[in-house]
Amino acid sequence: MRKQQWAGYAFILPNMVGILLFFIIPALFSFGLMFTNYQFANPNFSFTGLDNLKRMFQDDQFYRAIKHTGIFLLSVPVSLVLAFLVALVLNRSVYLKGLLRGMFFLPYISSGVAVAFVWMLLFQPSHGPINEALRWIGIASPPGWFADSDTAMYAIDIVQVWFMLGYNMIIYLAALQEVSAEQMEAATIDGAGKGTITWKIVWPLVSPTTFLLLVTGLIMTMKSFAIIQAITQGGPSGSTTILSLYVYKTAFSYYEMGYASTVSWFLFAVILVITIVQWIGQKRWVHY
Amino acid sequence: MNPTAGLSKSRLLVTVLMLVAGAFMIVPFLWMISTSFQSASEVFSRWLPSKLDWSNHKRIWTGNYNFVPYYMNSLKVSLISTVGAVFLSAFAAYGFARVEFKGRNTLFLVYLSMMMIPPQVIFVPKFIMFNWMNIYNTHWALILPGMFSIFGVFMLRQFFMGVPREITESAFLDGAGHFKIFFRLILPLAKPALATFAIIDFSWHWNDYENALVFLTSPKLYTIPLGLQNFILENNVDYNGMMAASSAAIVPMIAIFLLGQKYIIQGIASSAVKG
Repeated sequence: MRKQQWAGYAFILPNMVGILLFFIIPALFSFGLMFTNYQFANPNFSFTGLDNLKRMFQDDQFYRAIKHTGIFLLSVPVSLVLAFLVALVLNRSVYLKGLLRGMFFLPYISSGVAVAFVWMLLFQPSHGPINEALRWIGIASPPGWFADSDTAMYAIDIVQVWFMLGYNMIIYLAALQEVSAEQMEAATIDGAGKGTITWKIVWPLVSPTTFLLLVTGLIMTMKSFAIIQAITQGGPSGSTTILSLYVYKTAFSYYEMGYASTVSWFLFAVILVITIVQWIGQKRWVHY
Repeated sequence: MNPTAGLSKSRLLVTVLMLVAGAFMIVPFLWMISTSFQSASEVFSRWLPSKLDWSNHKRIWTGNYNFVPYYMNSLKVSLISTVGAVFLSAFAAYGFARVEFKGRNTLFLVYLSMMMIPPQVIFVPKFIMFNWMNIYNTHWALILPGMFSIFGVFMLRQFFMGVPREITESAFLDGAGHFKIFFRLILPLAKPALATFAIIDFSWHWNDYENALVFLTSPKLYTIPLGLQNFILENNVDYNGMMAASSAAIVPMIAIFLLGQKYIIQGIASSAVKG
């Protein structure tokens, strides 16, 4: 048994060193920074207790960032419902399933800045193909999308839904494989229509998957700002600055690293709450 | 259900409808490729180029803002990170899955809890620490942390736990130790899982923009996402060039996806945990 002990540590040690150095120590370090007025380039800093927290709760930009994050998170349920419907159809009633699956999944694998730039041109207000198409079907003054502070966040949502749809679909497809044909057939014999079967039988059966995708989707979306930074850099006039981007800007555009750490821990607190809700909810709400 | 003629007709109809919906999903890619072959005067005015204009692609690869160095940087960073992450994750995953030792569950819980920490929390301290370590604004700032993947440990642990005990039991009786079993038995068995993780991890590094944004400042070190951004800042009306550059960034990912579709989809479906 003693030998086992050593073998266990030996297998884990190389990885543990990196996790310690690049995750755990920085996390503790960041927690400490929260209570300082540390600014990069200024070696003199002091401990300021809870000043950063007070500042955060009086910071209008912080509250705006929360609102924008909320709008950004709308993309999660929307993409879930669409993904469920697509998976439902692909699972049973199409030819060319592999091809179709690939088409819906492609955006997810090619994520990143390049895709963001393509969308930037597609949504270009004056000549872009999307607005051209809208004018063609008779909408005289289509929205300004990324260029308009009222619509920019929703345009980002569209890109995010497009991006996440394929991922959610793959997971739903796997879940639907588990729904047995007998369960469906029994319902058909009982005289249930297709719509009834879907909402009364299939949807509840995949509810653990929906719940998991909702939670991981919310967390993942909250953490990511690459697409937004690439397309709008948080603009126009701050209308797409979500929390994670606000942290980045506070730290690396204004070098207010103490304050940025505080806001980043607020982000962590939200993720923690969602995770705890997941633990509790998994036992209660989900129909197995 | 009986596959009658009527049924398959409705199935055909649904297939066509889904193909239309699927076409909407890939329209951005088609438009990108099409625009990259148009001349400057044609942008936004038509869907297909009147003739294939290769000059945009030529400009991307041989012009003043050429992408060759960005490509090389991305390849270097993504390949080294991925190879490192595959081995280091497999090691740790085996330890967590198949070796019994004191504190194993606690340690694994620590790993899992680290998945909750958003990258924004550790950007600032990493920035400060990398400055101390003199690796800020070098590729090491991306490669070293990139070699440690909590997701990889988690995913491969799941796989290793699924390998039947009987397979390793007889080797133990023959006197083989954990290391021998790991290298001779488990790793060869795990090839599909390793390939899945490698593909997912590589695509993650290839597309990673946020870390490069924080830790690289010299244009000569830029990876593709930053190179693209740089290109667009300096040539912001060169739409054809932008789309040629975007194609250059995306096409390798599409190729990898087409080659490894089976692995990727299985891997994602079996471990819906990446966060």
